[in-house]
Amino acid sequence: MDLQRLKPHFPWITLVVLVAFVGITDPNFLKPVNLLSLAGDIVPLFIMALGLTFAIYIGGIDLSAQSMANMITVVASVYLASLGLWVAALCVVLGFGLGLLSGFITTRMFVPSFISTLAVGGVCFSVAQWLSGNRALNMDAEQRNALFGWMIGRTGIIPNELFIAAGLLAICLFIERRTTLGRALKAVGAGEMAAAASGLNVTRYKMLAFAISGAMAAIAGLLFSVKLSGGAPTIANGFLLPAIVAVLVGGTPLTGGVGGVLNTAIGTLIVAVIRTSMLYFGVQATQQQMVFGLVLIVAIALTIDRSKLRTVK
Amino acid sequence: MYQLKAVDKKFPGVHALKSVDFEIKRGEIVGLVGENGAGKSTLMKVIYGAYQPDGGTIAIGGKPVRFQNPRQAMEKGIGMVFQEQSLIPNLTVMENIYLGYEQQFVRFGVINWKAMAAAARKQLAKVKLDIDPATITSALSFAQRQLVELAKVLTLEERVEGDLVILLDEPTSVLAEDEVKMLFAIVRDLTKRASFIFVSHRLDEVMELSDRIYVMKDGAVVDVVQQGGSTVEQIQHKMVGRNVDREYYREQRQKPFDAAKVLLEMDGVSLPGRIKDISLKVHAGEVLCLVGTEGSGREAILRTIYGMRTPVAGTVRIKGQTVTSFHPQAAVTAGVGYVPRERKIEGIVAGMSVFENMTLSQMGRYSRFGVLNVAAERALARDWITKLSIKAHTEHADCGNLSGGNQQKVVLSKWRSGGSEIMLLDHPTRGLDIGAKEDVYEMIRDMSDDGVGVVLVADTLEEAIGLSHSIIVVKDGAIQQRFDCQPGAKPTLFDLLHYMI
Repeated sequence: MDLQRLKPHFPWITLVVLVAFVGITDPNFLKPVNLLSLAGDIVPLFIMALGLTFAIYIGGIDLSAQSMANMITVVASVYLASLGLWVAALCVVLGFGLGLLSGFITTRMFVPSFISTLAVGGVCFSVAQWLSGNRALNMDAEQRNALFGWMIGRTGIIPNELFIAAGLLAICLFIERRTTLGRALKAVGAGEMAAAASGLNVTRYKMLAFAISGAMAAIAGLLFSVKLSGGAPTIANGFLLPAIVAVLVGGTPLTGGVGGVLNTAIGTLIVAVIRTSMLYFGVQATQQQMVFGLVLIVAIALTIDRSKLRTVK
Repeated sequence: MYQLKAVDKKFPGVHALKSVDFEIKRGEIVGLVGENGAGKSTLMKVIYGAYQPDGGTIAIGGKPVRFQNPRQAMEKGIGMVFQEQSLIPNLTVMENIYLGYEQQFVRFGVINWKAMAAAARKQLAKVKLDIDPATITSALSFAQRQLVELAKVLTLEERVEGDLVILLDEPTSVLAEDEVKMLFAIVRDLTKRASFIFVSHRLDEVMELSDRIYVMKDGAVVDVVQQGGSTVEQIQHKMVGRNVDREYYREQRQKPFDAAKVLLEMDGVSLPGRIKDISLKVHAGEVLCLVGTEGSGREAILRTIYGMRTPVAGTVRIKGQTVTSFHPQAAVTAGVGYVPRERKIEGIVAGMSVFENMTLSQMGRYSRFGVLNVAAERALARDWITKLSIKAHTEHADCGNLSGGNQQKVVLSKWRSGGSEIMLLDHPTRGLDIGAKEDVYEMIRDMSDDGVGVVLVADTLEEAIGLSHSIIVVKDGAIQQRFDCQPGAKPTLFDLLHYMI
């Protein structure tokens, strides 16, 4: 068994080792209730990471995800009263549309995705500030519970967020494995030139990947604002780095073409365990991003396909 | 002085160099000729240290050497002038000449530009190039850049003890006639400083310049010719070797095509700087071969038909329909299939399975409302794996792990299974071993039997002659001559070469 063949199994092995390690340090960690609430807490991040997976799968990146989620928390808080349940549709359409815009800038104007999405993210952040008057907004608790309460309660001991996560994962997995879109995205990620030479409309598929990423970031933002019963232009700050970490430690490399949403599910659980274990070891919240930054660098270095890179700038 | 003995090099599936002996004496100019795939470039890479031989020895001045990389070879006096120039266009001439060796001009951490300019001027004088060393390289003509490149290699003279060997890879391919004359004069003059290995497709030039010529074929040196000891025709014969075997190209399977059914028509098509006023017709069951040297416009014609380029003038008609939007998607929909030259980059998607590759161009046919019918895809792949005896464990095997011949079969079956009526084949047998080549020839005959029109850019001239019904010779983007290629009445190599060069 050489290293290359072992590589696809790294993510879940890492997860098992981490869980065992933390479990031995603190046996309470392994209680089902604890594990379930741990998983429930990470769902908004997971949804964002699911979307990001598509952008990274084609060899791009979506740096607008966090600002998108921020903006959506504000949009949801502002328009819940007037739009009711329709606010959910508004959020998703907004996310999809802005993702499409990132994709357009990337593919038609030949701006690398890390810049195009950074720019679109800047626009989102600014819209959030403007719309919120730069302060925290609250939702009407009664209306929130009536319309979106189902998102955050518990069924038995299982947090409802986990059902949402499972549903979205199933949809994404279906797109990835069973649709022409998923197949095309794989081809674009693994060999864009060959995909184009086979007559695929590469531009359109790439734009769709960014649109999905935007829509998922919007759903993440919506869920987050429902959870917190409000929104603010910086409320989701600190999501982006762990979300990218989740995709990469899951085994979808920055160069794209391999991995996928199931990998991201495992990657997100790894992030959740790292986060919890940091609490056990007394790492303060302000220092967590340091750890994620380091994990990100290690994850990239381990997963990236160097044969696809000619020069790195 | 420089000697290779029994050098051997193998790649997966290809025996690239077969026990090659090669020698160059002080002040000598040695020519190296052979067809594509004969092993010239592999031999050169071994000489300048980019490849390490699997067997045999390399000796300089009688002492055995081993190079891990080109830099080590340079330290022993072996320099390379690349075909695609290695100069960086936005640097000055002197910066390019001393790129990576600026240390000698550094005092107190600062580069002494005056000293560098003076040193560069001395190098440029060796190649008789009178330009300001502070000129930005992109402002020079191509011929001047070639000389700068030569000057850069000649800096080895000051750095290295002992003799220099300089490799020239196709140095004349883009030069005008008077520029070639000038370059040759300079090279001859430089033989008091260095020995040269001259690689070129232009046989007449190789014969004019070289003291001796090594002729390669199928990875081996088949002959060493002294200057004046042979005619162009004799050398060509040695390069090709075997008399063209009609069996090899399945000539007995060549049947007349359907002259009443035109599948593809180009009428006065032009692409600035690439092709000029191209008119041609491809009929059902016809194999039309485009013949020409590298950069003659053969590939550009294929890519225009496939919609990867949009012509500025002329019309392309596919099955009678004038093409209005030039996109590969439109071409594929109209029934065009394209087998690219770069198989691993444009042909297959490594990391995807055999069946995923086969249906990549026809996913619409294997899906409903965007949902794939994977069972049908796999059935199709199993079918073609059997039909073409593709060596893959299952249809799930990663296409990137197949051998070149099997990868090419996957690419071909991608289009064949989709029912493409016009096939564009760009070097379909490049890098394949003989058995795999024969399989491809069989498939091309199958296509003709099925009434498919084929436009072929062949790997060698004999392949072009052996396979085609018609040949069009392209030079500098324009059609030079057309040949009929009926079995028994085929043009010869020399007929074609006459119009190519």
